[in-house]
Amino acid sequence: MKNKNRIYCTLLLLFAILSSCKNEGEYHSVSDRIAAEEVPYHGTLSSEELLAGRDLIKITEGDHIFLIPERKSQIKSFACIECHSKPLSQMKEPDKTKAHWDITIKHANIETMNCASCHNPQDMNNLRSLTGSKIDFDLSYKLCAQCHNTQFKDWKGGAHGKKISGWTPPRASMTCVECHNPHDPGFSQRWPAQFNTKKAIERKEGLDH
Amino acid sequence: MSENKKWYSLDLGLKRKKASSGGCGCGKSEGDCNSPKEELSAEEFYEAAINASIGDERHRDGFEQVFDVKMDRRSAFKKLTASLLIGAGAVSTSCSLTSSGDAKEKAQIDWEEQFKGNYKLMSDEEKKKTVDRLMRSYELRTGKNISMTAENAEEDVLFGYAFNISKCQGYMDCVTACVEENNQDRNSEMQYIRIHEMKDGEGFKFDKADDNYYHEVPVEGHFYMGTQCFHCDNPPCVDVCPVQATWKEEDGLVVVDYDWCIGCRYCMAACPYDGRRFNWSKPEVPENEVNKNQHYLGNRMRKKGVMEKCTFCVQRSRKGKNPACVEACPTGARIFGNLLDPNSTIRWVLENKKVFRLKEDLGTEPKFWYFMD
Repeated sequence: MKNKNRIYCTLLLLFAILSSCKNEGEYHSVSDRIAAEEVPYHGTLSSEELLAGRDLIKITEGDHIFLIPERKSQIKSFACIECHSKPLSQMKEPDKTKAHWDITIKHANIETMNCASCHNPQDMNNLRSLTGSKIDFDLSYKLCAQCHNTQFKDWKGGAHGKKISGWTPPRASMTCVECHNPHDPGFSQRWPAQFNTKKAIERKEGLDH
Repeated sequence: MSENKKWYSLDLGLKRKKASSGGCGCGKSEGDCNSPKEELSAEEFYEAAINASIGDERHRDGFEQVFDVKMDRRSAFKKLTASLLIGAGAVSTSCSLTSSGDAKEKAQIDWEEQFKGNYKLMSDEEKKKTVDRLMRSYELRTGKNISMTAENAEEDVLFGYAFNISKCQGYMDCVTACVEENNQDRNSEMQYIRIHEMKDGEGFKFDKADDNYYHEVPVEGHFYMGTQCFHCDNPPCVDVCPVQATWKEEDGLVVVDYDWCIGCRYCMAACPYDGRRFNWSKPEVPENEVNKNQHYLGNRMRKKGVMEKCTFCVQRSRKGKNPACVEACPTGARIFGNLLDPNSTIRWVLENKKVFRLKEDLGTEPKFWYFMD
């Protein structure tokens, strides 16, 4: 009996030793693996090809350095001073057709902001921060960041917004205005792109799980 | 022909016959080649034929069948007998004097494809050969060219995904992009991604959520979340596969070899996330809609009776691009990247947002995280 117990104990010990020996390359959880194997990616793949032919600007925001697309060439009516040749007050005439008729502001309320919150009537070719400093049209995200600072933080890190590049470095991200119309930044309701007719039939017949 | 080839080739006379490695060239490994053939009864012949074709496997278990196959040692007689049983069609085509060279080549390809090994065990050269065969086979059948690759996993890469529940608006552009990218069957309207419309304040109730809505979205008082294959680091689907037709690659992708899958659907039952799809019928994609940039483990055309699933668009991700769903998402709710790279955006999300995974208590370790703004 005693012998048997001893054998049991030895076996148990052996089992415990064996099971505690993890195979190399096997981890308890994926976070363990990430912690053990992490290394900045310097592989053969890169997003250079995807970004080829695009006009990009390198920006540094805090710890983050990445590329954003150039904007000014994408704005149809840039440069603004081609029309805004004199101060705005002199261009306003009651009997003339309204310029920028296609722009309606649906952004905060009028107590919070109006055209002049971002545009500078004295310098139409540039944007203006709340404190009156000049902001280039290419760096318009700085304007948005004045109020939307949580979104700005997420965007810098990569949790908000979309990338132009793939997952490989160098990182190139879209700016706010690529997705949001600055004059009407919300997303509207619309029909979904897909409807699965087969799934609908299955559901009708009670075959859906 | 390489010595450690894991399938055997039927010599149809397309290439000049090479002298066999040993013996007199009649292919027999035992006995005198001039010895007269014994007469066999039908039953004996049947027995002998099976022994000749799968004889070794009969006495081995599954593991040995996969890992200890010595196909190259088989004699030409064995090959011929096996061909009579399994490749009768191929042989009749190839031996026929009337059939064209294309038909012969097609038969040759079908033959080699039939007897190729498990993708996991293939050398890079073998992978290239099977990919070349598949491309040629497609060309012979449809007259169109496709580009197929078999890139291996990159070093120092582990793919991961994050999904922002606050951002998804339920537009389902990702679903459309996925179907188009991955050549999914249009007849059965197969979709890898499901977008669940859930009521605010009720938490995740998948049984009450609607994943096939058709009204303008987003609907007031609802939120949207997508599910697809989560590429678990401890994937239960891989454990249950009886033939090792599905496995986890070095870069974390859980993939399927459509040519090895026997369609038992164990993996479908084992997956706690409804990540896998089965081809109940022959998948059909209109010729002009076929995505011709394909990967062996990804969006190449499937056949009837095999499993398939999201591969994080292996044909794109192993070229450095983002999966099609990530690229298509109009709200930026989908983030994809390299978990091992501390500078990647996915790592920033994991470290700075409050992330969680579905059914985490199961220990499947999905590499697909959800987060909110």
